[in-house]
Amino acid sequence: MFKPYEIGPYFDEMLDQNGNPKKHYQSFYDVLQDLSEEELKEKQETANLSFLRQGITFTVYGNDGGTERTMPFDFIPIIIPAEKWKEIEKGMIQRVKALNLFLDDIYHEQNILKDGIIPRDLVEQNPYFYYRQAGGLEIPLQNHIFLAGIDLIKDEHGVYRVLEDNLRNPSGMSYVYQNRYVMRQVCPEFFSEHSLNMLEQQMGHLHSALMAHLPKNASITSDPRAVLLTPGMYNSAYYDHVFLAQRMNISLVEGRDLLVKNNIVYMKTIRGLKRVDIIYRRIDDDFLDPKAFRKDSRLGVPGLVDAYRAGNVSIVNGIGNGVADDKAMYAYVPDMIKYYLNEEAIIPNVETFILRDPHQREWVLEHLDELVIKNVGASGGYDMLIGPHATDEELILFREKILENPNQYIAQPTIKLSRAPVYQNGHFYPCHVDLRVFVMKGENINIFPGGLSRVALKEGSLVVNSSQGGGAKDTWVLKEEMQHAEQGS
Amino acid sequence: MLSRVADSLYWMSRNCERTEHNAHILSMQLITILEASEQEISAGNDWETVLDICTSKNSYYSFYEALTFEKVVDYLTFSKENPNSMANTVSFARENARITRNSIPNELWEVWNEFYLYLQNAQKAKNCSLKEIHDFLNNIKKSSFTATGVIDSSMTRDLPYHFMKIGKWLERAEKTALILNVFFQKSKHANQSAMDDFFWRSALQFVNGSETYFKHFPPVINPRSVLQFLVSDLSFPRSIRYCMEHVWEAVKGLESGKVSHYSWQMYALLDTMMTEFNEEYISNLADEEVEDFLIQSLNRCIEFGKVFSKTYYLVEREHSV
Repeated sequence: MFKPYEIGPYFDEMLDQNGNPKKHYQSFYDVLQDLSEEELKEKQETANLSFLRQGITFTVYGNDGGTERTMPFDFIPIIIPAEKWKEIEKGMIQRVKALNLFLDDIYHEQNILKDGIIPRDLVEQNPYFYYRQAGGLEIPLQNHIFLAGIDLIKDEHGVYRVLEDNLRNPSGMSYVYQNRYVMRQVCPEFFSEHSLNMLEQQMGHLHSALMAHLPKNASITSDPRAVLLTPGMYNSAYYDHVFLAQRMNISLVEGRDLLVKNNIVYMKTIRGLKRVDIIYRRIDDDFLDPKAFRKDSRLGVPGLVDAYRAGNVSIVNGIGNGVADDKAMYAYVPDMIKYYLNEEAIIPNVETFILRDPHQREWVLEHLDELVIKNVGASGGYDMLIGPHATDEELILFREKILENPNQYIAQPTIKLSRAPVYQNGHFYPCHVDLRVFVMKGENINIFPGGLSRVALKEGSLVVNSSQGGGAKDTWVLKEEMQHAEQGS
Repeated sequence: MLSRVADSLYWMSRNCERTEHNAHILSMQLITILEASEQEISAGNDWETVLDICTSKNSYYSFYEALTFEKVVDYLTFSKENPNSMANTVSFARENARITRNSIPNELWEVWNEFYLYLQNAQKAKNCSLKEIHDFLNNIKKSSFTATGVIDSSMTRDLPYHFMKIGKWLERAEKTALILNVFFQKSKHANQSAMDDFFWRSALQFVNGSETYFKHFPPVINPRSVLQFLVSDLSFPRSIRYCMEHVWEAVKGLESGKVSHYSWQMYALLDTMMTEFNEEYISNLADEEVEDFLIQSLNRCIEFGKVFSKTYYLVEREHSV
């Protein structure tokens, strides 16, 4: 039995201002009403236990080394109506297209810099701009972004906004599948009333997109071979790597399994060396090849970048994507969309102040206690100030940080992130949510229906990252027919 | 298949087998000490024997000065110091299962993962009561049986399966050879025929072979019959010959029955081993040749592990039996 809560000044995913279910949540709400307290508790426990039993864990590093944890799961799904989803899809296609054109441009002619749309030093001084390794290359499909994870939020008016682009190694796709899998086991009664977009075909799309990145000099004597390069089982996203390799039916390799000879990449098998054509790497640029990047990397493969530059192997996502997805560049994405596509952004950004600009900086320093300050290079909720929740010491600390290094920080207004109900520890309460949408790009761009809904389970918390106590929810994209039927009834 | 993955499958399987067998040995020992006389226990240095078979007594003495019941049992079960403690071999097996999740049935991973989760809790709560130890050993046994069932009923008979089988059967063959060696040495130094009987009975119990043995032979222990039985009986699933036959089957599965330039050494060694583990070969051994034969048998098993690893470019690791 669902017990309503105070909606407050927030946009609630399920309930309207009066606490009644929204139309697309009505059937779900009805089923929820029929469940007893005991059934609800059992569902929550079974779901979390299921993740633990299957060992779907991520590693958190703390004082006593790494501990394995599961991402807490909440069984109340995020439901997205078909027409809303169509808009998101259009917005994501547009955004990833523009970001890819931007990457191709700055690693070739750099027209966008010449035309003064984006300050040159913002690109050239970016620590993830790897022109020496990735500049001037003809890469397959001219595609730098094989898989992107775009994080969306909704503001207090229910408007979707892009919070962050992840163009390097976005993780979490396996959770989307596992959330759905567990949800089906634990809450079968919810599904009978709904017609959802299925996830099953998506791995086929992902595989085709990957195999489309055939390098210029791929071996012609044998079928192209793709591998997923992982840092190994101690990486926090290892389960994601296992899952993707398995579903795409490609080998999961570590750096030590690969070898470069005469600029050709091989993997070490029980029958000797076998040539590799396409590498979906989940290792950061820095660690990819000790000859080209950090010399102390033991995860990487010496000579890999030379093989890449020689056109003998493809590496996706492309090298040097980090320049396009940091928080400083984020502010310019709407300008990129305008510049390359001559369109307005379909899904807007969150308003962002660039602190290198003296006027904006001055204003921001006067309003620190109302704003969110983020380090442009950090992720996972680290080095971040949430003004309204901050202590005086924290405000002073961040003022100093900004003055010392204004290029390193951006400011955004505190957005009243939308909330959705969760059921944890025996009661219902509202929590802030966001949505990571996965975008796959090969010959075409394909958007994974739904994505990973993350939820800040600590009451009142704004941070959804799994490393800081965030959890996950299943995400349902309703099919159109279903909604028409509903309108007709 | 990646060499690293093959290596992990092989070691996962060896460690599962090792865990199961060490658990069996410890539960046998816990029963035996209830019935054994003072003399038998002190003369046999029972716990040292167990240590030698399940890990090594030298490694034990590098941590503890004296043999005490609690310390030995802890060293064999939960200890972090002993690389062959059941907690460690299971964790290692589970780690390898995690590395090879894409090559093994999901249920197999879940068996070891669940056991690992149980172990984490047991380790936190432990006070090493006999009941706890028995629960722990039973739990290992059940998990092992479940794992074996999952493998046999659901695994595709392709490369990963064969690598796992080779690990399992080789580990077994080596363990039986080791047990024979350890008890032979004990019996040699004891110089008493009554003790002989005790040692060979223990050997049979440690390989879980008493029941089968006494179905085939009169209820009096005859050392030559025990030797014959544990080395070459083709119906007993822990005799060295039985185990190596199965290694051979798995190798043939890997190589589709063909001998190639890279695999001939492995086949040649298998041929030698099959000849030496034959009944006839053993009945022709003179009494004074038995000791060398036993040492050689154990060395052959260890050597096979090395040749096998080399053939498939597996990473060579410390050999730790």
